Amino acid sequence: MRALVIDDSRTMRHIVADILEELGFSTTQAGNGREALDLLEAGETYDLACIDWNMPVMDGFEFVAAVHARPEWRDLTLIMVTTEGELGQIVRALTAGAHEYVIKPFTSDAIASKLQLLGLLPAGEPI
Amino acid sequence: MSPLPGVGVDEVTMIASEIFTALVDHRTALLTPWPDGPVAVTDPVHAWVDLSTEPSSRVQLMTGAETAADLTRAFLRMDATEPVQEADLVDAFGEMANVFGGNIKALLARHVEITLPQVSRQPPSDAGAVQLLEVPLAWRGHQPGLPHRPLVISLWRI
Repeated sequence: MRALVIDDSRTMRHIVADILEELGFSTTQAGNGREALDLLEAGETYDLACIDWNMPVMDGFEFVAAVHARPEWRDLTLIMVTTEGELGQIVRALTAGAHEYVIKPFTSDAIASKLQLLGLLPAGEPI
Repeated sequence: MSPLPGVGVDEVTMIASEIFTALVDHRTALLTPWPDGPVAVTDPVHAWVDLSTEPSSRVQLMTGAETAADLTRAFLRMDATEPVQEADLVDAFGEMANVFGGNIKALLARHVEITLPQVSRQPPSDAGAVQLLEVPLAWRGHQPGLPHRPLVISLWRI
């Protein structure tokens, strides 16, 4: 499984990538939505994208909307990893096409349980 | 009237504890209230985000440079003796302010925007800024033999 980790913070990319790699994913990192779109447009394929909301150049909402608008990328599972804990913002992300969300600060268990819900990790497997 | 209604010492302390337990200390609670006595921060580093409340507000973190470096090591799971690059320190401490600000924002009744984090050796300079709250905490302060490591969280009306 391949995952794309999108966050303007190197620290947060590092943390999320570490967790995903421990769960068996290979990871690629992008510093904003535009960099991530460039990877997709270059033909790179991923099973999962973990996306920060608040980023320069192209934020997470714009990235999710851009992916959702392209039928060939519909298989990409989108998880918002964000400090945006407001219900309205969560609804906005899900409406735009995100499949799930994780609120910072998070634990590795929180990410793993979301991946199980989405079928990207076997259900019932110890986390 | 505070632009951050409902955000007090308890809320700030709880958010700090959650951030440190999840992201810094990896499931171990090593952040405690500052014990009685003055808080002395050597070679301070400041990180902050601003919120578009009415009037605007700021969530600001301050700690010493040495502690900021140790926080960066903990955040990035680096070895205790591994050198910390300034860019990593700025990114890690800034992200901590970002997560902190986002969690404060989530407590507010109406939607507000949050700026990207800023990090500086100098405090932000806003004429007329009024401090609303200051919460001094001690990181790894309860471990015998180790000195208290101050982390000061403050909320401002700007």
